[in-house]
Amino acid sequence: MENVEKKLREEAKLLLAEKKIDVLVGYEAGTLPMTATPCFITAPEEADRLVWNAFCVQNLAKFVQDLISLHRESQQRVKPEARTRKVVGVVARGCTTRSLVIQLQERQFNRDDIFVIGVPCGGYVDKRKVAAQVAGQEIREASLAGDRLSVKTAGEAKTLSLGGILADNCLTCRFNNPVLSDLMIGSPASAMAPESEYAGVEAHEKLSPADRWDYFEKEMAKCIRCNACRQTCPSCYCRVCFAEQSQPQWVGVSEDETDTQVFQIMRLYHMVGRCVDCGSCVAVCPMGVDLRTFLKKLDKDAFELFGNRAGSSLEDLPPLSQFKEDDREDFIYDPQKAK
Amino acid sequence: MSENQAPSSWEPKIIAIVCNWCTYAGADLAGISRIQYPPNVRIIRVPCTGRINPFYVVKALQAGADGVLVSGCHPGECHYLTGNLSARRKFATLKRFLSYIGVEGDRTMFTWVSASEGERFSQVIKGVTEAVRALGPARKLVKQL
Ligand code: SF4
Ligand code: SF4
Ligand code: SF4
Repeated sequence: MENVEKKLREEAKLLLAEKKIDVLVGYEAGTLPMTATPCFITAPEEADRLVWNAFCVQNLAKFVQDLISLHRESQQRVKPEARTRKVVGVVARGCTTRSLVIQLQERQFNRDDIFVIGVPCGGYVDKRKVAAQVAGQEIREASLAGDRLSVKTAGEAKTLSLGGILADNCLTCRFNNPVLSDLMIGSPASAMAPESEYAGVEAHEKLSPADRWDYFEKEMAKCIRCNACRQTCPSCYCRVCFAEQSQPQWVGVSEDETDTQVFQIMRLYHMVGRCVDCGSCVAVCPMGVDLRTFLKKLDKDAFELFGNRAGSSLEDLPPLSQFKEDDREDFIYDPQKAK
Repeated sequence: MSENQAPSSWEPKIIAIVCNWCTYAGADLAGISRIQYPPNVRIIRVPCTGRINPFYVVKALQAGADGVLVSGCHPGECHYLTGNLSARRKFATLKRFLSYIGVEGDRTMFTWVSASEGERFSQVIKGVTEAVRALGPARKLVKQL
């Protein structure tokens, strides 16, 4: 990863100096051990802040859409002749590029509004898994070397192998190399284990409906409706989300458990064919709600029913934005057969 | 399931969201032809199934519907040509998703009834009412006021 990082900084400097991009969305080291936070680089000399490692968690496509739409909006207030264009560069691994593809499919911006610096990805560290390994103690120091992570807590020092602490979505990632890029840095990362990506969903499907409901109820009971999952999701860019609409008010803001369940059902359902399994929502959730078990189901169905892999190709459209005449309709109720 | 034991007076409440051009006309035809169907259904008329936000279905369940039926024109017969085909994709995924989280599959039903199918409309309502009756009153997702 070291030379990817070095190369990334060099390229970023060049792109900014040549004014090919106005801003680069990347990651910088966080203030706590084991963290990297999104950063916005606007001058070549700042490019040395950039990092690329297994602590880079958030999907940066979120900020690309944000920056471009805010810029476009600000240009509305400027005389037509004084309007400027803004090209946003982004450090993008596989899932980030898929989110960008989705945003492009949904016409959020034009292809030349963005400059994609593709990076290979070997997965990111799930902090909850690390916490479990050190019995929840505070981590004072952490460093990566190859496929090992060394952590120090107040009492002990431990070296963990990355395989055991990567996030679930990373372990079964199908697209850990970018599907879209203007510039690739580093050589392609080796494949993860996508064959087992639906193992969790398949196991869940086998439970009885009552057990599935109990699980859903239990998970959603943890949710405090902080909306962090939505805020971080690159596919959740709606100016006014249904959750805040007041005419009509789709979902109540009370503490009622069904309001939370309905909020979740609809937020999740809005991800049909639009969730790239980047895990950002799971990572930011302060309550540890298991969103992935449900998101993966939607992904599996979109693939089974429509052959869709979210954001995998610019030529395709999201599955619910299109249809085929011979789409499956075995779910359609037939009163003759039902007898 | 004991929690689902219905009081003897319980009758299923079913919300049917139907399109103006086919199923609503089909319901009309059933009425004109004096074809009987159970009075458990409350019909909501919309311009097209393609206009139905899947949220309507979830919202109806939250508001206490024991079952939700969505019905429109048969594929190929949509007044707006393809509204029902977009709807079909939405409902295929919605129905699977709701049953995945544990809402009984028979609480959400999707079908096609054309303007000339008064008889089919009545059969659909009978069938759905019986299926929902067998499930008992809805408990999941229902907001208690
Ligand atoms: S729903 Fe979660 S995993 Fe899916 S794209 Fe959004 S943030 Fe990523
Ligand atoms: S939950 Fe739905 S409405 Fe809200 S921001 Fe996400 S996609 Fe948009
Ligand atoms: S981040 Fe977690 S707690 Fe917050 S709204 Fe989403 S699921 Fe609920």
